[in-house]
Amino acid sequence: MRMFATIAKLLVKRVLTAIPILLLVSALLFCILRILPVDPAAMSLPPNATVQEVEAMRTEMGLNLPLYQQYGIWLNKLFHGDIGRSIHFRQDVTSLIGSTLPATIELALIAMVVATVFGLAGGLFLFYVRGTRAEAVMDFLSILLLSLPEFLWSLFLLLIFGVFFEVLPFTGRLSPGFERPVVTGFLLLDSLITGKISTFLNALQHMILPCLALGIALSPSLMRVLRSSLLDVYQDDYIQQARLRGLSEKRILIRHGLKNAILPTLSLMGVQFGFLFGGTLLVEIIYSYPGMGNLMVDAIRNADLPIIQGAGLTYCIAVLVISIVVDSLYMILNPKLRAR
Amino acid sequence: MRPIPLWLKSGRVQTGLVIIFILGICAIFAPYLAPNDPNEQNLLSILTPPVWIDGGDAMFPLGTDSLGRCVLSRLIFGARVALTVAFSASIGAMIIGAFFAHVAGYFGGWVDWVIGRVVEIWLSFPPVILSLILMVGLGTGLRNVVLAIILVDWTRFCRVLRSEVIVLRQRDYVSAAQLVGFSHWRTITREILPGTLPLLITLMSLEMGVAIIVEAILSFVGMSVGSETAAWGQMIADARQNIYEAPFNLIAPIFAIFFAVFGFNILGDGLRRTLDTRLTQTERS
Repeated sequence: MRMFATIAKLLVKRVLTAIPILLLVSALLFCILRILPVDPAAMSLPPNATVQEVEAMRTEMGLNLPLYQQYGIWLNKLFHGDIGRSIHFRQDVTSLIGSTLPATIELALIAMVVATVFGLAGGLFLFYVRGTRAEAVMDFLSILLLSLPEFLWSLFLLLIFGVFFEVLPFTGRLSPGFERPVVTGFLLLDSLITGKISTFLNALQHMILPCLALGIALSPSLMRVLRSSLLDVYQDDYIQQARLRGLSEKRILIRHGLKNAILPTLSLMGVQFGFLFGGTLLVEIIYSYPGMGNLMVDAIRNADLPIIQGAGLTYCIAVLVISIVVDSLYMILNPKLRAR
Repeated sequence: MRPIPLWLKSGRVQTGLVIIFILGICAIFAPYLAPNDPNEQNLLSILTPPVWIDGGDAMFPLGTDSLGRCVLSRLIFGARVALTVAFSASIGAMIIGAFFAHVAGYFGGWVDWVIGRVVEIWLSFPPVILSLILMVGLGTGLRNVVLAIILVDWTRFCRVLRSEVIVLRQRDYVSAAQLVGFSHWRTITREILPGTLPLLITLMSLEMGVAIIVEAILSFVGMSVGSETAAWGQMIADARQNIYEAPFNLIAPIFAIFFAVFGFNILGDGLRRTLDTRLTQTERS
């Protein structure tokens, strides 16, 4: 019970500190994007608009007001759930983000699972081969892996499994001919709810390569942290004690080693998963995956300010949420912090 | 130990230095090494395969892209952009990051608090997103790419170095320097900086790899140097369009980026192992 109270306290504290961060981030976004040499008013009008029409539009859009007032108006609208209309798509930014965000969340979540599995397995293996000749080789390999970012992994996997062997699809979310069920917006979930197993499997197939690319790219750093914290833990007396008590090595590893070594790995995950969420952008573009990354890049290419602001802010919120969740997990698993 | 520095004996450091040296030669002597003009379009021979595959042309050892430009030449010229960004962005990020880290760690108190919060705000942006947004604001071009990477990545240095400075600040020789009446500036540069230097150099080497990746990402989405300059990310974006006809065009720049990043990473790892005095002997082996 006390644990829940502490975690609740932590959550409240973290959410409260997240608010000023988000305010500052939004101000930062607003300022960066206002130095742009493009004129949103001129962009919202047909190319043959007169100077007077553009000027009228500028006044209507509030572009002639001082910067801080513009920010105030924008912020006020933001609180009312209105982050503007896309200049290019002529749609509300909220609905554009609402239709692309679930795809990105699905991608990121599955990729996190992949990264965790590979990271833990690899870390345990690196630790298992400690002191043997294989260690040097594995260590070298992990640096090799560390030098391949998700962006290169995506292309690499796409070439191997998509182009050379043609075993997996690599564009979009569904093959042609499949209909998209819409309930919650999360495709995997929706196809399960509506009972369309073939759609679910097809969508899953499309996600294998992007998730693998993201997950594998993230795992080497997790592996290395897990290995070095396991090495640290095994220096401690209680491991020796456990050996003296006659526990099997496997039991020592799981009950004593891993349980203590997992904490530094977990705290790294908080930061890494935040980066992973940003990394989805590239992976989405490479696999033509209809998520927020593609929306963002489209917006950037068209200098569509409302989308850039809205999507940028959404990415920040995602990073903050991920870090709060990981911190709470850290709290649950770490008895030292809990006692305080 | 004096005559040959320990760090130079490390195989990792040597490997890294050799790779960077090769890239450096490519970048500096690009006009002499490249068989063709990287921007010359040969519309009669587009998407030719590398020379060892049937249909390859000896004039284009690694084949041509969708506009008939020589892949090898673009690869060699691309090293210029990559290395320019790697060195200038990491030096810039290091200077800003190290400055704030030393100020925050040394003075502590509200200075530390303010710098800590700024870093926190920066970290709530995924780096890729922040650099893209900055490029939108700054506009394309080599100078702006470097600036964007500096503005995004200074926090990497700041975060790690700050905790190192806090450890060093509590050393007796730092207190001694303060008692003797050294100015803050002198204490930081003469007493603390030499202690953080090994970590700083290691971080810089790793940052160069990061900078190369970020530049490749930015040029992949067309937000880096203009289209008239050859860059590896651009080559990837171009080859992505013709992935079935010319898969090799994609492999070549992927390998180039990997090779460069690996060089900087292995150098950084080697430096970390040999320069970090706190690593245990087992870690260092």
